[in-house]
Amino acid sequence: MPTRTFLLASTIVLVAVIAGAPFVLNEGFLRLATECLLLLTMAQMWNLLAGYAGLVSLGHQVFIAFGAYALFLTSGWLEVTPIWVLPVAPLVAGAVAAIIAFPLFRLRDAYFSIAMWVFAEIIGAFTMKSQEVGGTSGMPLATSKLIDFDWFEPTMFWLAGGLTLVTIAALYKMMTSSFGLGLMSVRDNDLAAMSVGVDVRHNRFIAFVLSAAGCGLAGALSFMGNLFIAPLAAFDVNWSVYMMFIVIIGGIGTLEGPILGVIIFFGLRELMTGPLGLSGGWYLVGLGIIAVVVMIVAPRGIWPALRDRLGVRLLDVHRAAPRPATAAIPPGASERVTG
Amino acid sequence: MIWVETLINGALLGGLYALLGIGLALVFGVMRVVNIAHGEFMVLSAFCAVLLSNLFPQVSPLLMLIPVIALSFAVGWLYQAVIVNRVVTSPDPLSPLLLTFGVSVILRNVMVEMFGADVRSVQVGELSRASLEIAGLNIGIMPLLTLVLAALLFMALQLVLRRTEFGRIVRATADRRDIVRLSGVKPDRVYNYVMGLSLALGAIGGVLLAVRSSFTPFSGAERLLIAFEVVVLGGLGSFWGALLGGIALGMAQLIGLKIDPNAGLLYAHLLFFIMLLIRPSGLVSSRV
Repeated sequence: MPTRTFLLASTIVLVAVIAGAPFVLNEGFLRLATECLLLLTMAQMWNLLAGYAGLVSLGHQVFIAFGAYALFLTSGWLEVTPIWVLPVAPLVAGAVAAIIAFPLFRLRDAYFSIAMWVFAEIIGAFTMKSQEVGGTSGMPLATSKLIDFDWFEPTMFWLAGGLTLVTIAALYKMMTSSFGLGLMSVRDNDLAAMSVGVDVRHNRFIAFVLSAAGCGLAGALSFMGNLFIAPLAAFDVNWSVYMMFIVIIGGIGTLEGPILGVIIFFGLRELMTGPLGLSGGWYLVGLGIIAVVVMIVAPRGIWPALRDRLGVRLLDVHRAAPRPATAAIPPGASERVTG
Repeated sequence: MIWVETLINGALLGGLYALLGIGLALVFGVMRVVNIAHGEFMVLSAFCAVLLSNLFPQVSPLLMLIPVIALSFAVGWLYQAVIVNRVVTSPDPLSPLLLTFGVSVILRNVMVEMFGADVRSVQVGELSRASLEIAGLNIGIMPLLTLVLAALLFMALQLVLRRTEFGRIVRATADRRDIVRLSGVKPDRVYNYVMGLSLALGAIGGVLLAVRSSFTPFSGAERLLIAFEVVVLGGLGSFWGALLGGIALGMAQLIGLKIDPNAGLLYAHLLFFIMLLIRPSGLVSSRV
C-alpha cells in the first residue's frame, strides 16, 4: 500500500528532523517549537474527546494542572530529576478523569462541558488555598538543580517532539482500529451505535481517560520547561480556549486538522504580537474571529474543506460507507451489497 | 442571629443570581442553545452603565438601566440574527456551544483592550449602604429591592409567555420549530426576539451585580457559571425553580464566606457539584 510506505518514510524524516533540530535552531526558536509541539499534543487530545467521542470539555486545563502539579510534587518528594518522574503526570491526570467520569457522564452536551469547567474552578480554588502546594503564589521546581542546563532545551524539545509523534501515531492506529470505529459511530449516532452493540459509555470513558492523561503529560512538560508553576497559569481557562480554537480552525475530528490549526495559531501570534506590535488580547480577538468565521463558513474546519477541494489524503481515518444498491452499481453487485 | 442574617442575605443575593440565570434559561428553553457568551454580555452591559454614568454624573445610575436594557435588547437581536441563527439548526448539538464560546473569548478580550483590566463597580451612592432594621436584623435595601425586582420580572415573564400572543408563538416555536412555519411564523425571527429578551434580562442582572460587587472584563466566566448553576439546580426550564436554585447558591456562597473569608464562589460551585451527584434533574423538575 503506497500510503503506508509514504507514512513510514515521512515518520523517518520527521524523527530525523526532530533529532537534528536542536543543533541547527537557536534557543529562542527551540523554545517556540517546543511550545508548538506541546500545544499540538494537547489539541490532539482535546480533539480525541470532542472530535471523536463527541464530548466538548471546557475544563481540560484541570488535567494539565493535575499533571504538572503531580510532576512538581513527586519530583520534590523523591528528589530525582523531573524527567524520570514524568510518567506520574499522565497516571494522575488519567486517574482523576476516571473518577470524575462517573458523575460527569450523566450529563450530556453543554451540561458536560460546563460541569467540567466548574470542576476545574473548584480544584483551582482548592489549590490556591493549600499552602502545601504553594497556594496562590505557586512553587518552583524543587529539583531544578539536578537538571543539566546545557542539554535542558534540547531535551525538552526532544521529549515534546517524541510525545507529538507518538500521540499522532497512536491516534492514527487507534482510529483505524475497531475501537476507533466504535468511537466515531458513537459520535455520529449513538442510538444506531448502541443498536449494533457498541458500548457507548465504555468508549467515551476510554477516550476521556486517554485525553486527560495526554493533557497531563503535555502540561507537566510545559510547566517543567518553565521550572515554575502557579495556579493562575495552570488553571487558566485559556488552555481550553487554545485547544478548542486550534481544533476548530484546523478541522475537528481529523488528525491533520490540529496540525494545520497549530500552524495558524502560532503563525498569527508571531505576526500579530511581532511585526504588527499588537497585544496578546487583540491576538485572541483575531483568533476568535477566525474561529467564529470558520465555524460559520466551514463548520468542520479548514482542513476537511481543503482536503475535499484538493483531494489530498494524508492521515485519513475515514472509511468509505458501503454503497447503496443504486443504478450506479452494476447488476449482480447489488446482491453482494445487500446480502 | 448572625447566621439568620447570613441566610437572609444569601436569599436576597439569590434573587440576583436567579436574574442571571433566567436569561440563559429562556434561550435554552426556546432554542436548546447554551449561550456561553451570556456572562460576557452581562459584563458588557455593566461597562455600558459605568460609561453612561460617567457621561451623565447627575443622573442616578439605576436610571441608566433603561438605556442599557434597550441597548442589550438590540445587541441580542443582532447577535442572534448575524451569528447564532447560522448554527441553531445544525445537526451537531455542539456547534452552538463552540460558536458562543468563541464569541465569549472575543468579547472578553475586546473589553480587556478597550476598558483595561482594572476592577470597577457601578456606584449608586447612599442607596448601596442604606439598610433596614427588622427585629434586630440588618437587611440592605438594595438587595431587598433586587429580590423584589427579580420576583416581579419572573411574574411578568411568566405572564408574557402564558397569556400573550408573543408568548404563544415563542412556546410553539420552542416545541416544534418546523411546524410553526405552517402558521406563518418565522422561527429565526422569534429567536432574534428571544435572544434580545434574554440579553435584556441579563443586562438587569449584570448591572445590579455590578452595583453589589466589583467586576473586571474577566468576570464574565464566573457570571456564566453562576447563571448555568442556577438553571441546572432549578431544573431546566422552570422559572420558579431558577429562583430557588439562585437562593440556594446565594446562601451557600455567603455561608462559605462566613467560614472562609476568601472562598469566593467555591462553596456555590461545591453545592452545585454535590447536587449534580445527588439530583441530576435539579431541585424542581418541571417544564415551561
